[in-house]
Amino acid sequence: MDSINGFEAEAHGTVGRKVKLKLLSRIAYVDLVHEVAEALARDARFPKPEALNIGLAVREAFINAIKHGNRMDAAKRVEVEFQETADRFLVRIRDEGPGFDWNQTIDPLNAENIFRTSGRGIFFMKHFVDRVDFRRRRGRGTEVLLEKRIEPSAGRAGGGSQAMKRRRG
Amino acid sequence: MKATARHHGKVTVVDVSGKITIGDGDIKLREAVNGLLDEGRKSILLNMSGVSYMDSAGIGELVACYKRATEKGATLKLLNPTGKVQDLLVLTKLQEIFEIFRDEREALTSF
Repeated sequence: MDSINGFEAEAHGTVGRKVKLKLLSRIAYVDLVHEVAEALARDARFPKPEALNIGLAVREAFINAIKHGNRMDAAKRVEVEFQETADRFLVRIRDEGPGFDWNQTIDPLNAENIFRTSGRGIFFMKHFVDRVDFRRRRGRGTEVLLEKRIEPSAGRAGGGSQAMKRRRG
Repeated sequence: MKATARHHGKVTVVDVSGKITIGDGDIKLREAVNGLLDEGRKSILLNMSGVSYMDSAGIGELVACYKRATEKGATLKLLNPTGKVQDLLVLTKLQEIFEIFRDEREALTSF
């Protein structure tokens, strides 16, 4: 495990390949998390527009974890775990906050909400991936699961993730 | 994100490039539009052709710019949003709020 200025990364496993990032709650890390997500999605043979969608969903979930999960407490960490299986690309984003009500979100498409300047994060997540699940971890914050199906027609080479292979230790 | 203003008569065209996202692009967009509104500019055209994508914070800031412009008696319109940005405007139904143009000359004469 490498640790540099509040940023840690590890990659392991030959089955259900995983890459994990642990970061302090800093908005400055949002681009990094987005770029890692997009690169791993590309590596899982998603076409570029789909990889961007996955990057955008992970970006929103990470921002959500910082703002609503850890409530901008820069000392609290956010863990982002990527897992590629035979037919799924899974991302779990875990915060260390006291929890929040993810059901209390507005519908940004309601006429009365169109002019709102916030409240579209979870809406974007749900649009960009196939499944978004929130789960409270007792005494340990909230976990968001993002899931995207890997279509067989995506032309995957069967060998799986090159980047993850490179990083395996 | 970069925002460069150029003036065509009463209309100010702001050429925006890069991404409009949290902590950088959203702030620069706010500063650019606020600066023009503070100068008393009433007709602002945001040229979005160089914007690769936006996140929810960027979309939120675009809405905030539209509201501030309206409050100050100004008009803010969009020119040439790209594929992903256009998708997001459709997804959020904001394409029904903003006047969006494909042709700059047409946009300039619309004010």
